[in-house]
Amino acid sequence: MPTDQFPDGFVAGYLKDEFKALNAQIPRKRKSLTELLKEEHPHVVCNDGSAHFFKKKELEYLSQMLYENEQTSLLLPIIIEITSDQGWVTVRSKGETEAKIFSKILDMNVVCKDGLITIFRPQLNIVRKVLKTTTQYVFLFKNP
Amino acid sequence: MAKKIQVTRPTKIELARLKHRLKLATRIHKIVKDRLSILIMELLQTVRECASVKDRLLTEFSEAYRSLSITAGYHGYVSLKKELLVSEMAFKVNAGTRNVAGVRIPFFEIEKADEMKAETKNMADTSSFLDHSTELSQKCLKTIIELAELQKSLELLGMEINKVKRINNALEHVVVPGLDMTIKYLTMKFEERDREEAARLKHVKLLIEQREAYAY
Repeated sequence: MPTDQFPDGFVAGYLKDEFKALNAQIPRKRKSLTELLKEEHPHVVCNDGSAHFFKKKELEYLSQMLYENEQTSLLLPIIIEITSDQGWVTVRSKGETEAKIFSKILDMNVVCKDGLITIFRPQLNIVRKVLKTTTQYVFLFKNP
Repeated sequence: MAKKIQVTRPTKIELARLKHRLKLATRIHKIVKDRLSILIMELLQTVRECASVKDRLLTEFSEAYRSLSITAGYHGYVSLKKELLVSEMAFKVNAGTRNVAGVRIPFFEIEKADEMKAETKNMADTSSFLDHSTELSQKCLKTIIELAELQKSLELLGMEINKVKRINNALEHVVVPGLDMTIKYLTMKFEERDREEAARLKHVKLLIEQREAYAY
């Protein structure tokens, strides 16, 4: 066996495991808030086949702050994109629903620009404290 | 100190492959660092929540015990025990998992927590003291379930952080410097080879010139 196989094997093996772990929590299909509120055990199926359950308390909290049409358009879990070497995180949003939720939680004006909501990492802490199960992380590669 | 990677074939293709590998390793390292920082953030948040829930539980327990001792004083131990033996309380706990940056964490939720009520069989023999004690114990139960979830999360996040930290350290201190050193070693080797080649050509040129001079 050539001696240069160790680091290559390590990197490749690690890469495989790490990507499995990183992508594990991404849902195969997101569900709307209206749909989830009707379910007895609200959940979505993740990439690895496991189920990600939502707390009813959180769903009720979201439903209280949104109108009916917004509840239908809001897809859960809200995906938070984390890109390396950046002090902020982004949330992709089709409408203004996510921005409205974050504005209420952070108690400040959050703007959705070009379908992207930008929040800073210390603010992420506050969001995650309130929306533990209704938000999900995604780690992204930054193009060199 | 980082060890040099042994290369079996000191070729340009191998160098290109190593450079690609280094780029890949650096990118993975960045992602691992991100994941580690997110996991630490989650852990710290859980620790803070855990501490506050523990404090709340202690207060609730002390209130519940105080209330229970008043109830016991009012009813007497024997009659209180009799009442408690026949009373029952049905409650449902929803258990599930949530995924935090690749870590599966359990969560528990009491279904219809506000509607939870103890059914005491004999209403005539009991007092409002017992009802108050029951209410306080129900509060304690809710908090215990909340604490159980947080404690387990803490344990699982801690284990994952340890794992990710080891991987991060391996990449930072072994893999990336090793690849870097090998690339440097190969680059220097190729430069040396080029210099030798240039010297050899000069020497050959000199020999040819000398031969031509003798020929004349």
